[in-house]
Amino acid sequence: MPAPAMRAPRIRALGLLSGWGRGAAALPLDASRAAAGRSMLTVERPALDPERFRRSRRECLMGVAAVRAMLEDAGLGPEAIAGERTALLFSTAAAYAPSNREFIEARGGSMYFPYTAVAAVPAEVAIEFGLTGPYEILVGGSPATMRCIVRAAALLEAGACDRALVLAVEVFEECADLFESVRPPFEGPLVEAAACLLLEPGEGVLTFERLRGGKDGGGVRGRLGEMLACEPLATLALARETAGKGPVQVNGSWRGEITRLQWSGSPYRTRPRAA
Amino acid sequence: MRHPLPRLERIAVTAAGVVTPIGQDLDTFWSGLLTGADGISQIERFPVADLRVGQGGEIKKLMRAVDWRRVPDCRATRLLVSAAHDLWAQAGQGPLDVEPERLGVVVGTALGGVEEGERALSDSPRRLGRALYDAPGHGLARWLGSRGPVVTVSTACASGATALGIGAEMLRRGEADAVIAGGYDILCRFVMRGFNGLRSLTRDRVRPFDRRRSGLLLGEAAALLLLRREREAGPRRLGTLLGCGSAGDASHIAAPDPQGRGIERAMRAALAEACVDAADIDFVSAHGTATPLNDPIEAAALRRVLGSRAGAVPVNSIKGAFGHAMGAAAALEAIVCLLAGRHGQIPATLGLEERDSACDLDCVQDAPRALRPRLSLSTSLGFGGCNAALVLESA
Repeated sequence: MPAPAMRAPRIRALGLLSGWGRGAAALPLDASRAAAGRSMLTVERPALDPERFRRSRRECLMGVAAVRAMLEDAGLGPEAIAGERTALLFSTAAAYAPSNREFIEARGGSMYFPYTAVAAVPAEVAIEFGLTGPYEILVGGSPATMRCIVRAAALLEAGACDRALVLAVEVFEECADLFESVRPPFEGPLVEAAACLLLEPGEGVLTFERLRGGKDGGGVRGRLGEMLACEPLATLALARETAGKGPVQVNGSWRGEITRLQWSGSPYRTRPRAA
Repeated sequence: MRHPLPRLERIAVTAAGVVTPIGQDLDTFWSGLLTGADGISQIERFPVADLRVGQGGEIKKLMRAVDWRRVPDCRATRLLVSAAHDLWAQAGQGPLDVEPERLGVVVGTALGGVEEGERALSDSPRRLGRALYDAPGHGLARWLGSRGPVVTVSTACASGATALGIGAEMLRRGEADAVIAGGYDILCRFVMRGFNGLRSLTRDRVRPFDRRRSGLLLGEAAALLLLRREREAGPRRLGTLLGCGSAGDASHIAAPDPQGRGIERAMRAALAEACVDAADIDFVSAHGTATPLNDPIEAAALRRVLGSRAGAVPVNSIKGAFGHAMGAAAALEAIVCLLAGRHGQIPATLGLEERDSACDLDCVQDAPRALRPRLSLSTSLGFGGCNAALVLESA
């Protein structure tokens, strides 16, 4: 069955922070070589208002910092995204793991329980930027983030919002030992990241498909390292630097599911909808 | 200028399955709600003696005749499989008439496999792989034989509603031909410690919309609905999922927006997607957690949305019967909407005895009300300012 097509949103801006540094320019050509023996590349706790974020966890601050980086890329102020016409779609495979672990082990003893929820990261982002539109959170690796992009496209096409943020955050440092013990064999390093994509209504064609026995994210993973849910956004950041206006394709995999997201510049022709 | 949303393809609910503290199949669950069954008890499966509140809606023993050797020893996965086993029985069919690659699974959860994380960190490191929040959803997919898309949603206690909306969109987009969607969560030390620490649990009974309400109790459950595109659904169905809306509060990490603006936006979005006017809503299955904060905020938002009919639309909350089932709550409440239409009865709100003027709604109290709602609205609020609402049409 051919991959169903939908109207592609336009990528207005993208903010990327990763263990490699800021933006696509910091991404290496070969993760293993660039890691030089390090098994993990971390992102420092962003220096945000210590009073406002006194109970926030590092993953929440990374989410906020990624949105700020996106706004810088767009040349917009925060007022441009505030309000009910902005959708927020968040994806992570494991950003909740450090808070869950700390709460279980009661280290520190005073962790505020709501920060164990997956919803804590988008909550802090929504509070910081006043995002009150459609709001969805998916858990998983690359395919979850691709589905967030597809959901954003659907919401934009339906007119349920005027713009959509797709946000992904992954942190590993606090659970490094746990990840090393369960993740599938992969030679490259774990790379912490937070990325935010700003999408607006567009005119191209977006296809999302599940592949059988196709190429997974191995190629890009060899370049970027293991970024889980952040991988598709980092791949898009690279593509924006190199692909110009041509088609953009992102592959990814998680738990045996291999997916592909493809933007094409051809104009989208509306299908008749069943009533 | 905003345009009305386009009319979307209708998504049929052809069957449902549940496992709850008051019934481990759809019929027992429904009769339990109608007869006022009380699923709250002292928690026995793990130690609670050190906690301020040790009661909840615990499922004492899984009763369904499932071959458990095929299911991981993970309670969350087992609740999902129990609900799926019931769904299959309710659907009255063997394997679905869809290819395994075209059967999708979309489940919502607030906690995922966190109990496996607790066990892994204490003495069973091999359980770590099951501790990820999407592990139980994949466990369910394996049991179902699905090789289609598997999606886990975690919009806290609104997860079940979000999952149904995403499942419907997956069908409309053609990514799957059938989707099993819903939600689940279990009781475990992690969540009991957390809510005890927040002091949100009551030592009294759960009293939604009651003047004396003093907090919630937690429950465990799983609820799944089988979704099909209406044109492919056949004649046997529970109803139709017409619309799903969501909105963020951007207000507080744990408390709802004091004006309930997020849940109001979610309701209006669901009504818009459904192309239904609020004046046509016959019944509201409310979130109704019985916390001092939630109920009046939700009631005020409902009054704004329902307008002049607010006092005439029956409202209930099922959380008095077995507590707040977190990720399962919204899916259970969607099922209640559809069963109310099928059976012509709206269950009473267990625990509601003294009405609160701050929750000025037509809450169904004392006994079920004879009414056959055609169009129902279900509301859900969760940590992190997650709000979601569903509009359903009974068959």
